[in-house]
Formats: sequence, C-alpha cells, structure tokens
Amino acid sequence: MNVMGIIFTNDASIGELTDKRTMASLPFGGRYRQVDFALSNLSSAGVRHVGIISRHNYQSLMNHIGDGEEWGLELEEGGLEFLTPYAQSVTDTYRGKLESLNSAMDFLEYGADDELVVMIDSAILSNVDLTDVLNKHVESGADVTVVTKAGVANGVKKLDLALKVENGQVTDMVVDYAAPAEYVASMDIFVLRKKWLIQQVKEMIARDKFHMDRDLVMGGWQRGKVSVNVYPFAGIAMFNESAEEYFRNSLALIKEDVRHDIFHGNHPIFTKVRDRVPTYYGEACDIENCLVADGCMLEGEAKDSVLFRQVTVCPGAEVKHCVIMNDSVVGEGAELKYVILDKNVTVTPGAKLIGTKTNPIIVKRGETV
Amino acid sequence: MYFQKKRVIAMLLAGGQGSRLKVLTEKTAKPAVPFGGKYRIIDFPLSNCVNSGIDTVGILTQYQPLELNEYIGNGQPWNLNKTHSCAQVLPPYERHDKKSGWYKGTANAIYQNIDFVDRFDPDYVVILSGDHIYKMDYAAMVAYHEKHNASCTIAVRNVPLEEASRFGILNTNPDNSIYEFEEKPPVPKSTNASMGIYCFNWKVLREALIADEEDPKSSNDFGKNIIPNLLNAGHKMMAYPFNGYWKDVGTIDSLWEANMELLGKEPVFDLRSDERFKIYARNSAQPSSYIDEKAKIRNAFVAEGSEVYGTVKHSIISVGCTIGEGALVEDSVVMPGVTIEAGAIVRNAILGEDSKICKNAVVGGAFGPDEKKSISVTSKGAVVEANTVLLPGDML
Repeated sequence: MNVMGIIFTNDASIGELTDKRTMASLPFGGRYRQVDFALSNLSSAGVRHVGIISRHNYQSLMNHIGDGEEWGLELEEGGLEFLTPYAQSVTDTYRGKLESLNSAMDFLEYGADDELVVMIDSAILSNVDLTDVLNKHVESGADVTVVTKAGVANGVKKLDLALKVENGQVTDMVVDYAAPAEYVASMDIFVLRKKWLIQQVKEMIARDKFHMDRDLVMGGWQRGKVSVNVYPFAGIAMFNESAEEYFRNSLALIKEDVRHDIFHGNHPIFTKVRDRVPTYYGEACDIENCLVADGCMLEGEAKDSVLFRQVTVCPGAEVKHCVIMNDSVVGEGAELKYVILDKNVTVTPGAKLIGTKTNPIIVKRGETV
Repeated sequence: MYFQKKRVIAMLLAGGQGSRLKVLTEKTAKPAVPFGGKYRIIDFPLSNCVNSGIDTVGILTQYQPLELNEYIGNGQPWNLNKTHSCAQVLPPYERHDKKSGWYKGTANAIYQNIDFVDRFDPDYVVILSGDHIYKMDYAAMVAYHEKHNASCTIAVRNVPLEEASRFGILNTNPDNSIYEFEEKPPVPKSTNASMGIYCFNWKVLREALIADEEDPKSSNDFGKNIIPNLLNAGHKMMAYPFNGYWKDVGTIDSLWEANMELLGKEPVFDLRSDERFKIYARNSAQPSSYIDEKAKIRNAFVAEGSEVYGTVKHSIISVGCTIGEGALVEDSVVMPGVTIEAGAIVRNAILGEDSKICKNAVVGGAFGPDEKKSISVTSKGAVVEANTVLLPGDML
C-alpha cells in the first residue's frame, strides 16, 4: 500500500503556551513535542511521504523536526515536506483544511494515484496502529474513515466532529458542537483515497467550501455523496485543546496505565535527540510520583509532576502538581503548586506560585519570577 | 568515487576482546560495553573525534562484532553519516596475497587497512582505542604535533610511581621530546604513562607499517614494535601531556569505579561540564523515567525509560530498567534493560544488560575487611532466581 501522510499543525491557540509556537511544537510528556505522536504514528505504519501543513509560527516546528531523521523520514524519495503558506504563494492564512490542501495540490498530486492519504492533527495525541486503520479502511470500501474515541463527548466539551454510531452505521454527525455522551469524538485522523480527495478538494474549493469536517465529511454524508466508516480507537487519546486539558493530560501521564499505553502501546514515540546526560538525583532530593526526563539536576522535592529535560530543582525547593518544561530552574526554597513553567523559566529562590487544579499558573518562556 | 582529502582522520582500535571484563564481554566487544547509564565505552572516543573536528573515523573490529556494528551503524548519532564524513567499520578480510586474515596485532590491523586511509590522503592519522573514558580535544594534540614538527606524538599522563610499571612509560627530555620508550618497566625512570593515543604523520606511519609487516619476528603491535622502531630510527617523537580525567575501564573494578566517579554533586568526572563537548550516544527512543511515590533515590543517575519503585543509593540506573517495590540498589552499576524485582537487594554489583534479579534475591554485599573490592557481576541476560544469593565477588 502506497500511503501519504498529511499532518496539520493546528493553529488553535491555548493561550500563553501557544503564543510563539503551533500546537504541533508544544512540548508534552517530558521530552516530546505534540507533533512527535503524529510523526511516530505515521512512520511506524511505514508511511514514508509526509507533508506538514502549517499556517504560521512554524519556525520552532521546523527547528524541531529538521529533515525528519529521528522518524526515519530523511529520504530522497518522499520523505518530509513543509507546506507553509509562503512556499505556496498564499500569504494569507487558510480558512480551513480544504483550502490548505488546495494550496498543497502539488504535494498531493505527486506520486502514484493509488495512494491512500492519512490526515492527522497535532492536538489530539495517541499511539495508534495506523496500519490497522488503513487495512480496515480498505476493507470497508468507504470514502472516508474517521478514527474516533468513545467517552470524550460529554455535552460540555465542544468537539470538532462527533458522530453517532448505531450497529456499526453512522446515524448522525455534528460539527463544532458539545455533543452528548452517546456520540463518539473524531480524533481528527482521517483515511481517504488520494485521487478521491484531490477531486473533492477541487470541487469544494470551486464552491467556496473550505471546512473539512463540516463541508466534506458531514456535508457529503448528509447529501448521501460520501460514505463514512468509523474506526473506534480503544487506546488512550489525549485531547489537548485547552490549557486546562493540556495540564490535566500532562499530569495523567504519570499514571502507569496511561503512560504505558501512550508511550509503548503500539510502537515507540520518537523525538529529537538532545544527548543530555542521565538525570542526577542529589543526596537530599525527594522525588515522588513524577515523570522525569534526562539531564535534570534534582536536589529538592518534587511530587506528582512532569519534569522535562535539563530541569533544575534546587535544594529546599518544593514542586507539586506541576509541569516544568526544558531548562527551567526552580530556585532554593521556592514553592510551586499547580504551575506550568514554559521553557527556560527561572524561579528565584524563595518565590511562591500557587495555582489551582483547573486554573494552573502559566509562566511564559524565558521569564524570571 | 570522490574522496575529499582530509588533514586528519582517526583509526579506532575496537577489536580487542577485553577478557579482563570477564562475563561482561562474553557476548559483546569491550567498546560496546554500556557505561554511565546511557552510553557505551566507544561513545567517548567517537564523540571526542566529532568534538575535535575529525569527521572520518575507521573503526577496526574483530571480536564479537555484532552488537558493536549494530551500535555504530552508519555513524548517525555522532553525525558521521554525512556526505564528507564517515564512521567506517573495518573488519578483517581476505586478500589475494594472503597477507590478511585476523588482525594479528594493533599495527597489523592498521596495516591491513592502508587502502582505506590512503583514500583520504591524510596528513595525520590519530590512533585511538575503545577502552578509555575521557574527554579530549584531539585537535589540540594534532596542533601540538604539527607545531613541534614531530613524526609521532603520544598522549601521556602522570601516574603514581608505584603504578608506573603497569604502563608503557615514555622517558622525555625537558622539551617533552621522547628519548626512550619502555613497555611496563620493572624500574620506571619516569611517570609519563602512554595513554594509547597516537598522532602520526601518515607517510611515516605507512612506511613503518609496511616495514613492520615484513619482519616475521614482530608482534605487529604499536607499543612493542612501531613506537620503539621509529624512535630507534631517529624520528622526532613528542609526548603530549594530558591532565584531564582519563580512565582505563579494562577491568571489572575500574569499570565500576569509573561509573561511580560520575556521581556526586561535584563528580570526579563531570559529564555535565562543557556543553559544547557533549558525549553522543545512539538514541534508545525511551520515554521519561517514572519515579514512584514509594521510591527513594539518593546520589544516583537514572536514565530514560526506567521505572523506580524501590530504593536507589549511590548507583547508576541505565536506560529501560525497572527497580521493584522494596528493592534496594546500592553502590552498583545497573546496565540497560535490567529488571530488579520487589524485595531484591543489590550491593556493590555490576548487573549486565537485560539481566534479571528475581524477588528477594540478594546480589553482592559489603567489601571484605581488607577493602579489596569484590564486585558481583551478572552477564547479559542472566537471571538470579528468587530468594537466591549471588555472593560478593561472584559472577553469573
């Protein structure tokens, strides 16, 4: 099977954390960027031609991904391509996925016609076996396969696309709506035939339709023009679509079943190598129930927290329920509870930052508090 | 094919068995032995090369090369896989004139690969070995060699006089030029020990290797033959003093010690110092380590992908290990992929890759009253059964 991957970097904003980066390059899980999950899912399924569609703020992302070597995508044939607006002579941002796909038509039309396309987003993280999804898509004979997760819809959380499935058949679809619990949420992973997709994109754009979920999937299905197959995903799916969800999901990774599923479920998650030394635990440190990346220097106390690479926790410092990103330093005697420190933050000795479970304090990249 | 001319290339002797590491090198070559939680010994000379601007490295392998070859791969972790760089594994091979076969000695290994070196037409060749832990800027040594217009420069370090008879000793004039070389002298005249790191003018070395090969009595060894021969022939040879950390990890005791010297607030060998001089290692794609609420870790390294539920004191826990609840690991080196089950006790030990210490087993213990180190060692994949004991100094 000849498969092409398209990653959307998701330009949604979740506040300070995405001020200067896309959702795709948001650090997650101690040593990853969110896009690592999409890249690893694709590369583990043998996808060797991947396009990354990004509207803006893509510099940190390009820096992270480079030529795709860590994911086995540094290839002469296929490999990795950044599909940025500038490179496509469209300087304005896209209104929807279909519009961005239309701009990336050269990329889509490259290669054999019999290819399948996997479209995948960077804000919903999972360790999914795409080979199985692709096989099920072919078996189903449907135009579109949507990977879905049950138990996410709750009548409160607004979902991009939610589907009601009865006896294996889709009976309803809603877009941008807080669907009730009997609906399954789209994980923003779609499989389609490339030739079919190209045709659909051209027809949609010709009619000024640009929204993938609303116009192509739901609209097409409602008009009886598009057959939709649902792939129910059984593993852990993390919807990081707000700062609160990001914070909650980050800390959920500490739980054994969650981290084993998302990091080891079907395949490893690959990321950029940093060549840090192993983490050093000092004579007086007290680390409990934490996820700790490499290169840290831990001499104080940390509980129920995620510590990224090269984090320093000085003697007497107390860190609880926190997400501390790369290179941040928690000074002597400082106290942090329910805090997200972005990269390279310095917490001065004795400082005290106390957030709440649903409203963590977020300290911006490079700041000193 | 086009080969870019190089000013300097390195040849890394990685074919030795390392028999003094006993069970640890039963199934793997010494340079591939894990070190410091996430490294292998060969990462040190390879990273030194890259950090010194040497981008062409020939790696001579012979003994148990499978794991080592896999590890080196195309040299990607050290950035040696680019258009004008390479990490070329050079195993022994069969040649039409039968002047080939197993590498007979260190000099013969280079002799058999003269063609490889010639392709790059280098001015200088740096000869390295895969059994030392250190950070060294070879470029500074080559500059020193060039400045003194020497044929050969040998890195030396000062060793205590009482230990000097274990080394190759270089007796030097006040300007550091060498007038005599003595291999393991019973009565050493100086304390300048050779570190086994040589810089040669390729033209000189090339001739010396060919002459050495024609001498049937030669043991084809750098220390025993090439160096003394060049000295006798009147070549200018310099000693290059090196004062940084350097450790031969050729024995169980020294391997254990070198690992322990990474620990502490101000370690004897600080891997963190000098961000620009990093040690690179092949990436294991493991997630962050998990430290449980019952875990207790003091003065230790814990590498990625490990899960700690028990107590770890003054130890190195490598990539992908599990330390079970109630288990105790103290003064030990735990190599990658080791599982230590609940209630097991490990003291003064080196646990080989993927070995397993089952429930309530006891490995090692306190050193004897004579302070002689008696380190317990498990080999790759060994299993210490539940409720059994591996005595101090024993190997499995």
